[in-house]
Amino acid sequence: MKKIEISRRRFLQGSVALCVYATSSFSFTSQHDDTTTTLKNIPYLCNMCRNKCAGFARVENGKVSKLDPNHYFPKSRNMLCPKGNAGIDALYDEDRLKYPLIRVGERGDGRYKKVTWDEAYEYIKEKLVTIIDEEKDNRSTIAYCNGEGFNKDEYIQFFGSKLGSANFLDEGSICLNTKLGATQLTIGDIGEMDVAGSDYLIISGANRYESLITPDSIDMLHVKQKLVVLDPRCTVTATKADEYLPLYPGTDLAFCLSMMYVALEEKLYNKTYVQEYFEDFEKLKKHILQEKYTPEWAEKKTHIPAKKIYQISREFFSAKNPLYYLGRRSVWSQNDFQLRRAMVLINALAGSINKKGGIIFGKPFVLKKEEINEPFYNNTQDRFDLDGIVYGSRKGGSWLNFREQVVTQKTPYKVRTMFIRKHNIMQNMPNIAKTKQMLEMMDLVVVLDTMPSDTAMMADVILPECTYLEREDMVVSFNRLEPSLALRNKVIEPLYESRSMQDILKGLGKKLSQPLFEVSAKYDEELQESIEELGKEKAFEEGGYDLAELYQNDITTRNKALIIKDFGVEVYTSLKTKGVWHPYIDEQKEIVNNYYQYYPQQKRFYSVSRDYKVQCFLKKLKKAGFDAMPTWHNHYDFTPQKGSFRLITGRYITSTQTATTNNIILKEFKEKNCVWINNRVAQQMGIADGDSVVLSSSIGSVVIQAYPTNKIAPEVVWFAHGFGTDSQELTHAYGKGASDNVLIEDRFEKIYGCATMHETDITIRKL
Amino acid sequence: MANYAMAFDYKLCINCHACEVACKEENGIDLGAKNHRLWIQEEGEISGDFWNLDREQLHFMQMQCQECQDAPCLKACPNGAIYIDDNGIVRLHKEACDLTLACMHACPYDARYIDKKNHITDKCIFCADTRLARGETTTACQITCPAKLRYFGDLDDEKSEISQILKERKYFTLKPELGTKPKLFYLE
Repeated sequence: MKKIEISRRRFLQGSVALCVYATSSFSFTSQHDDTTTTLKNIPYLCNMCRNKCAGFARVENGKVSKLDPNHYFPKSRNMLCPKGNAGIDALYDEDRLKYPLIRVGERGDGRYKKVTWDEAYEYIKEKLVTIIDEEKDNRSTIAYCNGEGFNKDEYIQFFGSKLGSANFLDEGSICLNTKLGATQLTIGDIGEMDVAGSDYLIISGANRYESLITPDSIDMLHVKQKLVVLDPRCTVTATKADEYLPLYPGTDLAFCLSMMYVALEEKLYNKTYVQEYFEDFEKLKKHILQEKYTPEWAEKKTHIPAKKIYQISREFFSAKNPLYYLGRRSVWSQNDFQLRRAMVLINALAGSINKKGGIIFGKPFVLKKEEINEPFYNNTQDRFDLDGIVYGSRKGGSWLNFREQVVTQKTPYKVRTMFIRKHNIMQNMPNIAKTKQMLEMMDLVVVLDTMPSDTAMMADVILPECTYLEREDMVVSFNRLEPSLALRNKVIEPLYESRSMQDILKGLGKKLSQPLFEVSAKYDEELQESIEELGKEKAFEEGGYDLAELYQNDITTRNKALIIKDFGVEVYTSLKTKGVWHPYIDEQKEIVNNYYQYYPQQKRFYSVSRDYKVQCFLKKLKKAGFDAMPTWHNHYDFTPQKGSFRLITGRYITSTQTATTNNIILKEFKEKNCVWINNRVAQQMGIADGDSVVLSSSIGSVVIQAYPTNKIAPEVVWFAHGFGTDSQELTHAYGKGASDNVLIEDRFEKIYGCATMHETDITIRKL
Repeated sequence: MANYAMAFDYKLCINCHACEVACKEENGIDLGAKNHRLWIQEEGEISGDFWNLDREQLHFMQMQCQECQDAPCLKACPNGAIYIDDNGIVRLHKEACDLTLACMHACPYDARYIDKKNHITDKCIFCADTRLARGETTTACQITCPAKLRYFGDLDDEKSEISQILKERKYFTLKPELGTKPKLFYLE
């Protein structure tokens, strides 16, 4: 037996007033309460981050008293993280948006008047009809964006298919579009990484133990595998790794290139696989060998010793099921697309595609889309934000390019209005000042959200959406290896006057349909012909101009019809009572301590029959003047100027961007962010733990507390994203910590138009 | 009737705080970092220069009432308010507690805090008056844990998962030299 000496508890700074919990959570009263004592457990899907884990909500007398994990869901593996547990405090957050509001003060000053839903819709209608009339029915004068995974497609259906705008923007271009694109263009599918099946896992930068992704993070905790982590910061993931390889930021590509070099030079790659699936293998081989991407070369770029690179490469290519994890996070630098491609190619060289422990294609359940009648607007123009970008996402576009075109007034037509749903654009992309400038140029800004975020404070009209615990959503298909269906059931009725997105759009659709049809009738010659032929009423109906068409039935009716038609009554019942359905739900078994096996091994979709090729050489890129294969350029070298530091970002395990910093229980763990500075550097600069420092980049400055530590490279600083909220309506988050996007310069790479988050150098001054 | 205990596969902990939030929500613990029945404590530290870090010494330890079989808090209470219940859990007669804090001072594990709402010293009781009282068989911290590192069950039942794991694995207890005989076990 070992003896361990424990010290007295060490607490995080500060504590909040006692009994806040009781007033905000337990003593909360609402008009929807039942009068008798009832206890129900209702299956729901979490929405505290992008994972959508499954849980059961305990409802006592109409109030949600506890959230517990749902053991039926293969994806979330019977767990809820701290944020998932704290979902109750998102529901009962007293700062929530409670009523429709119309701005009475200046944009950003927070002065609003409470109005009825009809008054809010009426206000929007008046403005929107004028704008679309003045823009001669060019519907793309409306830009609309969405930051939440669920309901996104339906939101696009409303503003894109029905209202007719081409300008949809989502988080992809400030997140992981390069990774999705790199996989799609290299192996023909975005795939899914089988972390659980891998016996040798390399992770570059993705901090899976502090930024949980289900099931990946959970599987890493349960399976026996060698874990190798590369990071310029010793994260918890790095701490837990079998091998931690500290490196300079932005140099992971050099490491990948040298891994490929070792595989090709020492002929360690999977020859059978390469022969069958690779296109242009000889080109890749020649390129990697001729450029001499040796481990010795990579050592100079990355700071990882050459002999370590040889060792890791040899181990990786001789492992049974090796996986180079592609990450799931924001884009770092200009080379990001080719970095992610290099990772895919390393997996492919090892034969780790469409097989256990690799990037699998799997077999997800396919849910049919409900059909709607889409009008055609002849005067609507196309999107402009992908001009000059090689691929880009046709769906979600490029935020930084879009914003740049708008603020420099280079757009081919005027964008005059924005509908923003659960997308805190004032905080989520580099250079906040420019986002503010863009919003100030709009004639109408409408925000649908649950919280009075910095972005909501820029709105003319705020429409309060209910939280995920107060609504049913359409059924969703999850995962490919162990596919399942899951349904977010409504736990309680919406509080205050908040509404679900569907109800909001239904109301808006009813209000807008006829007046906007009249505008089209004024400018659209084809519609004029149709009216002449069919009469107004029929032309409206047959042309699909009823914007609320999808909402003729409520969501429960829609779900029931859709699920029963394609999957049957049993599946529907399972989704309503268990929240989840998968084919082995009745026979899934507990392996150990509430940890389950879902699909039997032999039933998992590790390999499926599929015609595909591994594309080493992308001709379209070559034609556009970019590298067709992963290539290092000298300007990728890590060379910050003397006295300046490379700023990198990330997050704490207890926060999801800005969405959770007002949560009263989560703030007990991290109330504000601190900047990590290398301890030796801090000592030389006379900076001690807790000192206030000013960080400055070319575009802005922030004040933040210092955290000197040996866990970060000397030329690098890090602080968590999500803090430094400016909205005074967020009582607990306002004024706490600093916002990274005040400092991060707005640059984007040209392959997918993604913001490059790790290319800003800053200076530090002690206050 | 049971003899409840807990074992931790402590090296799996990633310090995510899920257990702490789940405990607070389940048991209605007041807000405030000082008010908690359980917490995760960082033991040791990462040492060395950034390019050559020693990561072996840092551990995240699950801390809470150690359910001593020879409990110093029980002996220290001048009001006799502390007792061991039928399930082997150290409990408190709430009405007999007048906040002398003797138990808090006597506890070598710092497991108790002052519950100002109920005017008692409170600590982990394995969700005895919430989950166990409702007939559930897991504690809030255990069921929510992403690592599933908390084994909870009946030591008197040889077939229970906790009895099995204590047979299979080596373990240690905290401050064994004090003779408090904790029923919380840390698995090697």
